[in-house]
Formats: sequence, C-alpha cells, structure tokens
Amino acid sequence: MNIFIHEWKSYRKSTLIWSLSLAGLTILLFSMFPAIARDAENFKRLLEGFPEPVRKAVGLELDSIASFLGFYSYMFLYVSLCGAIQAMNLGTSLLTKEIREKTADFLLTKPVTRKQVLTSKLLAAVVSLIMTNIFFLTAANLMASIVKTESYSVSAFILISISLFLLQLIFLAIGVLVSVIIPRIKSVLSVSLGTVFAFFMLGIFGSAAGDEAMRYITPFKYFDPAYIVKNSAYEPAFLTMGAGIILAAILAVYYIYSKRDIAI
Amino acid sequence: MNLFFRELKANSKSLILWCIGILLMVASGMSKFGGVSSSGQSMNELMKAMPKALQAIMGTGSLDISTAGGYYGILFLYLMVMGAIHASMLGSTIVSKEERDKTVEFLLVKPISRNKVITWKLIAALVNVLIFNIVTFISSATVVEYYNDGISLHGDIALLLAGMFILQLIFLFLGTAIASATMNPKAAGSVSTAILMGTFLLSIIIDISSSIDFLKYLTPFKYFEAKQVMFGEGLDVVFLILSASFIFIFLFVTYKLYKVKDMAV
Repeated sequence: MNIFIHEWKSYRKSTLIWSLSLAGLTILLFSMFPAIARDAENFKRLLEGFPEPVRKAVGLELDSIASFLGFYSYMFLYVSLCGAIQAMNLGTSLLTKEIREKTADFLLTKPVTRKQVLTSKLLAAVVSLIMTNIFFLTAANLMASIVKTESYSVSAFILISISLFLLQLIFLAIGVLVSVIIPRIKSVLSVSLGTVFAFFMLGIFGSAAGDEAMRYITPFKYFDPAYIVKNSAYEPAFLTMGAGIILAAILAVYYIYSKRDIAI
Repeated sequence: MNLFFRELKANSKSLILWCIGILLMVASGMSKFGGVSSSGQSMNELMKAMPKALQAIMGTGSLDISTAGGYYGILFLYLMVMGAIHASMLGSTIVSKEERDKTVEFLLVKPISRNKVITWKLIAALVNVLIFNIVTFISSATVVEYYNDGISLHGDIALLLAGMFILQLIFLFLGTAIASATMNPKAAGSVSTAILMGTFLLSIIIDISSSIDFLKYLTPFKYFEAKQVMFGEGLDVVFLILSASFIFIFLFVTYKLYKVKDMAV
C-alpha cells in the first residue's frame, strides 16, 4: 500500500498535465466541428462520384464523413495517439526509473516481494490512466453536448471514448513488457515515442491498403470507430486480441521481473 | 576530436535503428501505392472542389494520390515527423545525458573548454541528422522511382529532403537549447517532445480550420509541405528566413547557457 501511495504521488503531477492537455486538445478539436459541418453539407452531394477504394483509403464512410460521429472518429485518432504515448511512457518508466535513479536496491531490500512491488506499481499506473480518462470523458461529453448538430448514438459515442482507455491499457502492458525485456533503457521517451509512432503509422498505411491482416498488428486499429458507429459494439475478435496482449504481457512481466537481475 | 568520435559511437546504435525504421516506412508506405493508383483517375477534379477542412479529414490534402509523387507527398509528412522526433531527442539527450548518467563531472574536468565540448557534441549530432536525411533521400528516391512512370522526381524529392533537413536542424537545436537551459536533465527530453507534439497537432488543426491559417508561422511542420514544395513554388523564402532565425536563436541560446550552466550532479 505504501508503494502504491508513493507511486501515485510521484505520478500525480504528470498525470494532471497529461489529463489537462488531452482535455484541452479534445475541446479544441471539437470546437472546429460546427464550421466543418457547414462545409460538409454543401459537399456531400459531390461525394457520390468517389471511387470505392479511395473512400476506403480514408477510413470514413461516405454517409458518416459529415456527421458528428464521423468527425469524432477522425479527431479521436489524434487523441488516441497522445493517450498511447502517455500510457507507453508510464509503462516503460514504471520499473526502469528505479534502476536509472539508483533506487532499485533501496526498494527491493524492503520486506515486500517483487510481485507485490509490481502489483502496487501497476495499480498506481492504472489509477493514473483512469484519472486521465475521466478528464477526457468529461471534456468530450461537455463539448459534444455543445457542438452537436444532430442527435447521435450516445452508446457509440461512449464506446469510442472508452476505447481510449482500452488502448492505453494495451500500451501500458506493452511498455512494461518492453522495459523488462530490454536490459538497460537510458531514455524512456525515445523507446516509447518510437514504438507508439511506429504502430500509429502502421495503422495509417494499413488502413490505406484495406489490409485485414495488418489490423491485428497495430493496436490503433483494434477499436475501429466506423465499426463501433455501425454496430454500437466492439469487434469481438479484436477485443479478445487486445485482452490477450494485455494478459500475456502482464503474465510475462510478472514471470521475468520476479527473477530478473537488477543493475545497480 | 575524441569527444566527437565518442559521441558518434554512442549514437550509432540508435541511428542504425532509426535508419531501418525509415527504410521500412518508405518501402511499406509506397508499397500501398499500387492499390490506390488504379482507381484514382478522377480524384484530382474532385479534390479541388472539396473544402479545405474536408480535404484534411480525408487525409490527402490537395495532393493527387493517383501519382507516385503525390502519394509520396502524404508519406512525407510522416517522414518529417520521424525526422523531427529523432532530431529533438538527439539534441536534448546529447547535452543532458552527461548529467543523467552522472558523467558530467568526468567530462568537464577534462582540459577542454565548455565551448569546445558543446561544439563537438553539436557537430556529432549534425552528422547523425545528416546521415538520417541522406538515408531518407536515397530510400525515397529509389522506391518512388520504382513506382513512378512519369518524369523523374529526383529533383522534387531532393528539394523536399532539403526542407526536412532544415526542419531537423530546427528541432535539433531546439533540443540542445532546452537541455542547456533546464536544470533538470530528465525534463529536457519531455519538454522538447511536448513542443514537437504541440506543433505537430497545431499543423493538423490548421489543416482542419482555415480561419487560423496565420498560425502556420508557429509550426515548422507547415514550413515545407509537400504540396507546396513539389507542386507549388518550391521552398518559401519567408519560411526559409524564419527557419534560419530560429536555428540561429536556438544555437545562440545553447552556447550562451551551456557556458554558464549549473550542472546537476
């Protein structure tokens, strides 16, 4: 419990900064919707002539591009990019910061098992992500009620919003796993930024090609907003895939960390 | 000089990883081109009719994705982001890592002035950035040429990569300036990345909303856009001057502050 409180305190500030920036980004992006909705109305008729593969390439259905949820799906990509960076950062630094700051021996000589240490740290990280998501959800709901032009499916909206949390959990798990596999991480930021951007770009170019198999590789494609809007549900295959990644990564982390050599 | 080789060696592994990333990015990005090109004949006229904000949402901007050059233009944005991340991380860590790894005392008691230390570090970083740029150019030119069936695009790509080099320099020296200015070595990387993400998101927001077009002077990602460099008037003089002054200011700050920096030990 002490470890949990200590960890939470050390993340408090960065969590607050991340939460506020994410909420700010959300508000900013939402505030652009009214102008776009006006533009789109005029353009909608022209769109009929679009060839099918091109429509697929840009990931938005013809009829939803101008809609509120269509716009939300588009802007959500950038919100999820930021969220993924936050989660991956958190995950990668969770265990490595003790080594970098030479506090690992202090921590690990305390009368707690490594598993307990790991559990407290993971819990603190999850709490930090939950905080961020509460901020994001509040901002998104608030802005949605202000800028919406038509009634939209609230359940789809909530499901898309919550997929941020699921995506973050996946990247948190990947981050912790990477941090116990790579022997010595000097700079957390370069590892996490590199990984997240690699997945992000894979997602963008994967969707341009309409490649189904590609979707399994990058978590950014697990929660496809277009599918959620249409069905008001997550795709079971990808939900399982995401849960599988999290479970496998966390199990591996417990196993590796409990017998890992700690460089001091 | 020893310092220079020491830095080159220290950064060689990450540079190789980055170069592999670039190669994969260009190759996999352009390999998708085949699928799109067959159906894009009518895209051009339609794109012109589309409002600017919608173009941004569609992800293509005003580029014609039915040609290899236009398709590369979209890819180029992400290459720029990669170059900027690499440069800003490199710039901030090459200065701050001595404090982070507690090697700063060892370094600074050597019989060379701080000016020399920072100069060699900067030169080493420049070489890294240059290699990154050259690898991007060679891989882009080769792969784009493979898919291109019109006139050669080597000149256009060289011009784009020159723009990217300037962008890399801006972020490299931004990184070193922040690392020299900040007291906390851990903060240097986060602050420069935050600025990088902020300017990247700003460039996207400008794409969506044309009413804040004047903000484009604030984000380097808007300085050398593919559609302008390849299909417009080339590198814009205003942006070149702006970039030069940014680079100069950041360099000045780096030297000025590093000389009087109170090292965290």
